[in-house]
Amino acid sequence: MKKKMETIRETEKIYCSIALAFAVIAGILCFILALEPIGKGLILGTLFSIINFVLMGETLPMRIGHSRKKSAGISFLLIFLRYGLLAIPLALSIKLNRFNMAATVVGLFSVQLVIMTEHISRHIKMRTQKKQLF
Amino acid sequence: MTFDIDIWIQVAAFTGGGLAMGFGAIGAAIGEGFTASEANIAISRNPQMSGDIFKGMLVGQAIAESAAIFALVVAMLLLFTNFSGQSVVAVCVILAAGLSMGLGAVGSGIGSGFPAGEACAGISRQPAMSNQLTTNMLIGSAVCQTPSIFALVISFILLFSDFSGMPVAPTWAAILGAGFAAGFGAIGSGLGGGLVAQTSCEGMARQPTSASTVTNIMLLGQAVTQTTAIYGLLVAFILLFKGFAPSESLGAAMALMGAGVCMGLGAIGPGIGEGATARSAVRWIARNQEATPELTRIMLVGQAVSESTGIYSLVVALVLIFVI
Repeated sequence: MKKKMETIRETEKIYCSIALAFAVIAGILCFILALEPIGKGLILGTLFSIINFVLMGETLPMRIGHSRKKSAGISFLLIFLRYGLLAIPLALSIKLNRFNMAATVVGLFSVQLVIMTEHISRHIKMRTQKKQLF
Repeated sequence: MTFDIDIWIQVAAFTGGGLAMGFGAIGAAIGEGFTASEANIAISRNPQMSGDIFKGMLVGQAIAESAAIFALVVAMLLLFTNFSGQSVVAVCVILAAGLSMGLGAVGSGIGSGFPAGEACAGISRQPAMSNQLTTNMLIGSAVCQTPSIFALVISFILLFSDFSGMPVAPTWAAILGAGFAAGFGAIGSGLGGGLVAQTSCEGMARQPTSASTVTNIMLLGQAVTQTTAIYGLLVAFILLFKGFAPSESLGAAMALMGAGVCMGLGAIGPGIGEGATARSAVRWIARNQEATPELTRIMLVGQAVSESTGIYSLVVALVLIFVI
């Protein structure tokens, strides 16, 4: 289990650090361009996207190794917790003008966007290398 | 107890929020559950690859969850925005936004769980293909999300457009119809796209040399599968932006709502059917690459025939909008 968790943590570390770096750079750019609500929204959404992804991975050991009933109960509670967490930045951005709503939504998908971008760019790179070889 | 329009708007916002998140959670939950169940089978088959299988499951579930997050966004907007309006049109706008997003997330959530689960099974069968399988799964899952994005677009248009200048009747029915067309219309395409992506992961794991052919045919099959969701989107756009003359006739209103329901429900079957056709083609192309041109041709013909009922629905919906 320890080894499995290491693989999962490694995955989390890669995707979350890229997402955070992207959000911070984009946030700084937004602050420079006087688009503060967009920058704040993006960083807020990204933070919660990272928390959600980390929770997904870190709670895996909690969900396995129990009876079926207990695992189902724990999974249900964790989903409830994760969706409740994701609702916080959305509610904040709707209620407070300090956060741009659209940017917050984009931030909430930042981990997913990083996963997609990383894999697709790797796929394109591999294809180009193959073409060069033949 | 008296109900004024503000109370009805509030009631609609709470109901719409519940519908968006309630329906929206169904698909993602089934999809993520399917992924986890396949991951269990895969780990029991090849326990040494459990780390990579867990990783594939986690990444797949994160993508499958996107449709439910779209639904959460719309539900939160409905619950925390102070809506105002003078007529029943505002009530229908809020309800239609919730319905469109909630129903629209069902197919994509379930569909994107299929390739994620099959990728886990594939990693256990063909560990060397782990990275390529994950990439293929992600591309397939992302395409599965497009119908739910169509539904999200319609929800946002409903929430952020001003319909106050339009006549109450029959606009209220056109708006509800748009919600049904975009919402129901997305279910079949999301599911069908998932079936195609699932088999492409299976084929890639069984026959690694077929990887690039299988990915290309998967994308072609998925593109055709999406067309019925596009019909739903088209009918929703027409219902929202055509502009209808004021009419007190209930028949005129029902014709517009009927157009939306007709297109939405009519798109479910063809979406799944086209997905099943492309699934078989991709499966056998992986096993027999030499037959790719013929199998692709048969797949496209089969999909075109399966699509015909979707086209009938589109025609009837257009007749209901423009003729009746």
